[in-house]
Amino acid sequence: MTVHLSRRYGFFASHRLHEPSLTDAENRALYGKCNNPFGHGHNYEVEVTAKAQVDPVTGRSVDLRVLDQLCETVLLAPYRYKNLNLEMRDNPTTENLALLFDILLRRAWGPAFAGQSAKLERIRIWETERNICDIETKDEA
Amino acid sequence: MIISKKVEFSASHICRSPQLSDEENQRVYGPAANPQSHGHNYVVEVAIEGTPDPVTGMILDLKHLKDILEEKILSVYDHRLLNAEVDSFASLVPTVENMAIDMWKRIEAHIDATGRARLHSVRVHETNDLFVEYRGEA
Repeated sequence: MTVHLSRRYGFFASHRLHEPSLTDAENRALYGKCNNPFGHGHNYEVEVTAKAQVDPVTGRSVDLRVLDQLCETVLLAPYRYKNLNLEMRDNPTTENLALLFDILLRRAWGPAFAGQSAKLERIRIWETERNICDIETKDEA
Repeated sequence: MIISKKVEFSASHICRSPQLSDEENQRVYGPAANPQSHGHNYVVEVAIEGTPDPVTGMILDLKHLKDILEEKILSVYDHRLLNAEVDSFASLVPTVENMAIDMWKRIEAHIDATGRARLHSVRVHETNDLFVEYRGEA
């Protein structure tokens, strides 16, 4: 039996939305208050969804210890209490953060879940309660 | 009778005191001492105390309260680096405790000035599992 299991994590970070190829006026018009030169911050939440077979004996699917450790190492620890502009190459929109997390998690997924059925399916990031970005992911990369 | 209004904003801050050494800041504030800043989605609940008007049934027109909160709190705090852009924190660490006290100072007189209610408490949630409440000094 296949299930889709999701687990949610959180971290706190600051950022500033600014695209260097645009003028200051264009950046202000495009990003509004998110372009404030000093930056601002959020309580980010990250939900990782994986597809896996339910073990008929244990009734468990995705090994949560593996998932927790993987997400902590790859997604959370590098960005927790950080200024995202200093930690990523692209403009730290929620979309770009999702694209980055997709690459990072896919790269590390195979080795972490070697020999297990768990396949990464989706990453969802909440920047605020109302700003949410999903990325459907392909785990064979 | 007490009525509360909730508003939200996003801001960054640095929890670091110039009166402490780097080691002490790290010990006291942990990762929140990162000088490059980090941030939160803050939720503020402002409670006012009064008696419902016999005609309108309202303690205070909540649009009036909302205007006060937007002008005195949100326009000051939202999408800001608190240490650099809110004057109260030029020499005060913007911990959630100090933020609640600062917000109280910013709005208390304006609530009094309505003649309808007095400020009861300012509750500031920094995360889902951490908030402080300030009820003034009286």
